[in-house]
Amino acid sequence: MEGVKLTGALSAAEAASVFPPNERAERGPVAVIECVQQIPCNPCEKACPFGAIEVGPDITNLPRLDLDKCQGCGLCLSKCPGLAIFLVDASKSATEALVMFPYEYLPLPAADEIVDGVDRTGRFVTKARVVKVDTGAQREGTAIVTLAVPKQYMHDVRSMRLVAPGEVFLCRCCEVSETEVRQAVREGAKTVVAVKMRTRAGMGLCQGRTCRRLISRVIAEETGQSPADILPPTSRAPVRTLSLEALAGGDDNE
Amino acid sequence: MATGQTFDIVVVGAGPAGLAAAIEAAKRGARTLVVDENNKPGGQLFKQIHKFFGSHEHRAGVRGYDIGRQLLDEAAKCGVEVWLDAVVHGLFNQRLAVLREGRQVTVEAGRIILATGASENAVAFPGSTLPGVMGAGAIQTMINVHRVLPGNRFVMLGSGNVGLIVCYQLMQAGAEVLAVVEAMPSIGGYGVHAAKIRRAGVPILVGTTISRVVGQGKVESVVLATLGPDGKIDPQSERTLAADTVGLAVGLTPLTELAWMAGCEFFFSPKLGGHLPLHDDNMLTSLPYLYVAGDITGVEEASTAMEEGRLAGIAAAESLGLLAAAAAAADKAAVRQRIDVLRSGPFGEGRRLAKAEILQQQALRSRQGGQSWKA
Repeated sequence: MEGVKLTGALSAAEAASVFPPNERAERGPVAVIECVQQIPCNPCEKACPFGAIEVGPDITNLPRLDLDKCQGCGLCLSKCPGLAIFLVDASKSATEALVMFPYEYLPLPAADEIVDGVDRTGRFVTKARVVKVDTGAQREGTAIVTLAVPKQYMHDVRSMRLVAPGEVFLCRCCEVSETEVRQAVREGAKTVVAVKMRTRAGMGLCQGRTCRRLISRVIAEETGQSPADILPPTSRAPVRTLSLEALAGGDDNE
Repeated sequence: MATGQTFDIVVVGAGPAGLAAAIEAAKRGARTLVVDENNKPGGQLFKQIHKFFGSHEHRAGVRGYDIGRQLLDEAAKCGVEVWLDAVVHGLFNQRLAVLREGRQVTVEAGRIILATGASENAVAFPGSTLPGVMGAGAIQTMINVHRVLPGNRFVMLGSGNVGLIVCYQLMQAGAEVLAVVEAMPSIGGYGVHAAKIRRAGVPILVGTTISRVVGQGKVESVVLATLGPDGKIDPQSERTLAADTVGLAVGLTPLTELAWMAGCEFFFSPKLGGHLPLHDDNMLTSLPYLYVAGDITGVEEASTAMEEGRLAGIAAAESLGLLAAAAAAADKAAVRQRIDVLRSGPFGEGRRLAKAEILQQQALRSRQGGQSWKA
């Protein structure tokens, strides 16, 4: 079972049918119009300032790209309501190709960030470097992301996934994440005690023995203070965790 | 409230430093109590199944657990009282609040020696809270004391002596070690420890770190990454090892809560593990009744901890008038000389300088006055 009609993703044959010859991509940036169904739509035709895309009066025609007229400007990418137009450019390096695609999710990646390059089914293909994120006004809210990928993947990478950093817990007893601690510091909690009062970090079973250094480091990073000046939280009895029963039992000295 | 029991000297912690301190104090006639929260005395000694380094006087070549047994025998002979399962949870001047076998007891002390040791540092990365990520010291306790292998295929983070030794012992215990990962550009521990595990085929990957640990409910794989020149992870370098357990051997921090509570002065020494009680060359803090010994005064190793304990024990007994100044001076000089030997050479140099800095700082603050340092 394959093909856009059955799986929603272009099959390899469908994708190949719209991909320009590799030599064209080696010459410079070129549009890849992955529009293979006759739907009534033609904004791409108007979007191209060079007249490289033709749909014609019958707007259910499939768009045809004139490979020589296409300058690879990418203006059509953010105009296509179906987000079906991509740009590939294999001319910049011997090993890497640039792949551009529209991306309408938040958060947007940042330039130089490493993301997962994924294929038409969202499957991971390769790690990819973000070259550019274009959010200019002419994009009308559709950001255009440019990824650098190994050349052999320019036929496959059509989107990206942010590499989720995952939740990092600093205080595992009270499940306080690094994000929460950083947030607390940015909001003014500049000592381990202040972070504790704001987030409960360090108030669990281990009484901060596991997390206090990690929290000190975050405070140092966020505030630029020297680790020498970041004191541990106040030590009070009981410095070890005791049961209330033990404390309520009173003094047992004879 | 009933009055508490009274001892000349109370030592908190029955590890190498605490036991050595108690022995020296008791030998000189001090009525000495050692309190430890664990069920067994010896601190970390009984999980040290390898032979110790040092010279003959440091019992070099003897395995850690045998040193532990010798100390216990000696302590018993000297009449040291040892309370186990006894948690010191508060220090109020010279009175200690102890929960002994579930009962609340207060103890009065003429002198207190804190030999509380250190705790293992944690590292936070995605997946670091998954079951299967644990301290190297915890692994060592499980395999050598409780005889339980906590996993089958290990990755160790940290190539200091602790990381290297625990890897070796893991293989002795029948586990597979897939790699030792070290963020720094070179191996931290002794070459001889590294060579032992390299001979067993374990790669030691310097300039590398764990970028994340992956698994559903437990560790299923470990993703390693190379660190770039900027110290940041290079995501292109990520590769995955099918490990089920991760050991963290990234240093220790002195356990100082009781010292903070007592209110003695502190000093920050990154080399020795962070904030630690400022002390003089008798191991005396800024409080006239409070001594410190072992890893609480800066993280080193067991041989140095024992010598520091001896120093504190002799000095505390001396301060109680239990021996003449000349005898004390001779005893202390002998110990200090052995400590200097343990801090010599390229591996001891950093510790020696850091320790010297503590003494300099103490002398400076003492001269500035307003402190209770004795002349």
